Amino acid sequence: MKILLLLFTCLLLIPKVGACPQASNTSRITVAGGSIAEILYFLNMEEHIVAVDITSNYPPEAKELPSIGYVRNLSAEGILSLSPTLVIGEDDMGPSEVLTQIKGTGVEIIVVEEQHSAAGIIEKIECVADIIGRRVSAGDIIRKQLLPKIVQLEALTSESKKAPMKILFILGMQGGSPIVAGRGVSADGLITMIGGINTMSSFDGWKPAGAEAIIEAAPDVILISTRGVTGFGGIDDLKQHPALRFTPAAINDKIFAMDGMEMLGFGPRTLSAALSLAEKIAL
Amino acid sequence: MDQEHSQPHYLSLKKLLFNMENSIAHRVFTSRFGSPKQTTIIVLLLMLLVVSALVASANGSFNLSFIDLILGKATTLQSIVMLEIRLPRVALSALVGASLGLSGAALQGLFRNPLADPGLIGVSAGAALGASIIIVISPAFLVNSFLGPFLLPLAGIFGAASVIFLLYLLTHGFGYQGVTYMLLVGIAVNAIAGVAIGVLTYISSDAELRTLTFWTMGSFGGVTWTLLTPALVIIFSAILYMLPAYRKLDLIQLGEVEASRLGVDVKKLKYRVILSSAAAVGASVALSGMIGFVGLVVPHLVRLLGGVNHNYLLPASAALGATLLVSADVLARLLIQPAELPIGLITSAIGSPFFLWLVFRLKKNDY
Repeated sequence: MKILLLLFTCLLLIPKVGACPQASNTSRITVAGGSIAEILYFLNMEEHIVAVDITSNYPPEAKELPSIGYVRNLSAEGILSLSPTLVIGEDDMGPSEVLTQIKGTGVEIIVVEEQHSAAGIIEKIECVADIIGRRVSAGDIIRKQLLPKIVQLEALTSESKKAPMKILFILGMQGGSPIVAGRGVSADGLITMIGGINTMSSFDGWKPAGAEAIIEAAPDVILISTRGVTGFGGIDDLKQHPALRFTPAAINDKIFAMDGMEMLGFGPRTLSAALSLAEKIAL
Repeated sequence: MDQEHSQPHYLSLKKLLFNMENSIAHRVFTSRFGSPKQTTIIVLLLMLLVVSALVASANGSFNLSFIDLILGKATTLQSIVMLEIRLPRVALSALVGASLGLSGAALQGLFRNPLADPGLIGVSAGAALGASIIIVISPAFLVNSFLGPFLLPLAGIFGAASVIFLLYLLTHGFGYQGVTYMLLVGIAVNAIAGVAIGVLTYISSDAELRTLTFWTMGSFGGVTWTLLTPALVIIFSAILYMLPAYRKLDLIQLGEVEASRLGVDVKKLKYRVILSSAAAVGASVALSGMIGFVGLVVPHLVRLLGGVNHNYLLPASAALGATLLVSADVLARLLIQPAELPIGLITSAIGSPFFLWLVFRLKKNDY
């Protein structure tokens, strides 16, 4: 009877659909995904991290941990040599053969799903908190630090959503035509988050777009990663690029550069990034 | 003294691709651009180039009418798009096509190898290495200087030039041993550059990797007259330097020893052809990235059309290469607009089946 009751309470306590399983042993965590490392630091759970992948470069302390290489190209032996009890990664973690090998040795692997929206960020943080069994303290941190930002963002964007700005996101522009964000990529989510619409919504993924097509699209705002700017010179050099020179964004000085991972990592930082971008756009 | 001798398996191929009777004996009696038929082909190709350039200038994702522009009815933005975005792009594609086609023809002639292409002497790989260094590492002290926007093409040219300099040193001024030795050195240089690019690929971030990947597939986007003018000068001087070598390229088909007995300074010829192709291809790759198969396939197409003597082959390859790239770029711009297809993808997609067909055709002819 007691066992039945316990089972019943457990069933009740199992969170809603889509929530993440709690890991059995979180004493040695290996992280494969920049935003996961960021979230663990954010939740003050960094002391259990034994290694990170090379995309985990924020906060800077994360870079001092041993590296397991590139997130899509993990090696089983390299990871196992750190004797982790748990591997947490984003859905681009791989290759799947290596994950199967690691699972085969009894190490738990949990993949955290990603939605490119403000709610998605909160869900991701809650998911990581579930995995490491820190749901309650995480809820506290989210309420205190993130919810105010979401409220502010909502207030800022509710006005601009009535007449949304056309926004173009450029990843880089060194190789001839600028590589821009189409539908379904993280930058598309960011654009929606800050209350704009993606000018390049007729194709999927990151693609080079022609100079004429960009002029034709006439974006009101252009977002670009800092790396995309430094590779080119500076914002002023960028404005002289034939593809951008005649866009409303260049004419009205609405080209904004920000760190790529900050904007597109969809960890806690992305909320602050979205907020500051929304503020700049609203001006 | 050159020690290269034609290997037996070349002979039947040579009969096919470099028809001796046609090239050596007839050349003496033919006009400057080959036989009347060949002159006609060149004129037709040039007309085709003009037509494709007109089509390319009239079409694009930005809506503007050619006729309005001529009549002066276009808006300022429309004329700026035409003059500063579309025209330099068409000019660049023609220029790159001409230099790839011409260099391919000259190098295939020099190496007496139908498989030679501008990539083979390592120039493209050198340019790619230079560009990769800028894309992945982008040294801050250079990026923030006045060089900013010119950095990538400059690095490409510098990379190509370094490879040629290395090749020059390794082959003692292009003269040491035969062309096969040179070809092997070129392949080795290619491999070394490949390793360096691989290392850069490994350390690059996602965004850099994407830029790198698209760069290696080529694009004519983002070109301005400021970038184009130096390339124009380099490529034209290279072409003018190379074209007069046609007669010696005909003679070297007999073999290096035979050619030098007929009075060809083989070392000088190598120097001339390699240096000018390197300059032309280096400048092209620096501005447009890697564009595959044009240099390899265009000369073959031209040979099939009209013959193998180089006074016809060289100008016709330049004209056909230019026409092909101008047309391919129209496809690249329009097929999936507003996004763009990499131009190298289109040329390789057309080039590789053609190449396969060529190989089957060779087999039929008892290769």
